[in-house]
Amino acid sequence: MAQHSAVLDGVFVALADPTRRAVVRRLGSGPASVGDLARDAPMTLPSFMKHVRVLESNGLIRTAKSGRVRTCELNRERFALVEDWLTEQRTIWTARTDRLERFVTEETS
Amino acid sequence: MNPDMNPDMDPDLDLSIDRIIRAPRKQVWDAWTQPARLAQWWVPAPTLCRVERLDVRAGGGFVTLMSDDGETYVPHLDACFLVVDAYERIVFTNAIDSGWRPVGGPAPVAMTAEVVLRDHPDGTDYRVTVRHADPASRELHAELGFADGWGTTTAQLADVAERATTAEGRTEG
Repeated sequence: MAQHSAVLDGVFVALADPTRRAVVRRLGSGPASVGDLARDAPMTLPSFMKHVRVLESNGLIRTAKSGRVRTCELNRERFALVEDWLTEQRTIWTARTDRLERFVTEETS
Repeated sequence: MNPDMNPDMDPDLDLSIDRIIRAPRKQVWDAWTQPARLAQWWVPAPTLCRVERLDVRAGGGFVTLMSDDGETYVPHLDACFLVVDAYERIVFTNAIDSGWRPVGGPAPVAMTAEVVLRDHPDGTDYRVTVRHADPASRELHAELGFADGWGTTTAQLADVAERATTAEGRTEG
């Protein structure tokens, strides 16, 4: 749980920036090269690369270099963590009910 | 608000659990309302639970701590009871803490939990309804404009993960 929270913290920090959200939105429709992504951003390439590294270090995107082109793609598993909060809550409450049930039925028997 | 009201559920935000527990209603109530009993099942073993406050009345505090080593305890829940009907119903929320202070920030997910106990021929009809605030992650997800097909896939993955986690949960201590 604590580990899960730390991962989520990283995800939210990474997404708390309009440039990085724009990259994620763009990659939602498929992989793209750093060069193509940088062209849409109003900043120098080194500044843009810092944003790419934040996204990569938090596992939101993966990058791979082929020749001189670095391609970025979304890491969809990481986004599943964000999406599945209700599933996580349901799991917590189901397990909690299991434990209560076991506790009271063992007391009874 | 009339405390007898039972607001509708929103399937996108809320969850419910309905189970017949083979134990008398009073016993299930005691497991919820007596600190020493609650501590036995409230958090998953081997993590230890300390019930710091359990003032089971409307407006009363509900504070639990947890520890992995039995020495250092960290916050687990800091909540407030909204409705308490003896042996029948407990409603509490973490949207305000045990000191009635509204809680801000994205974590934990704000929720109101309602626990209802009814007599059943086999023991107790135990129902839990948990209503959640719309968490920031949901808005974020919409903002990013993810395709519907993707959502379906992750829901299926989550389903498998949930089954695995629940199976693990059943073997706890």
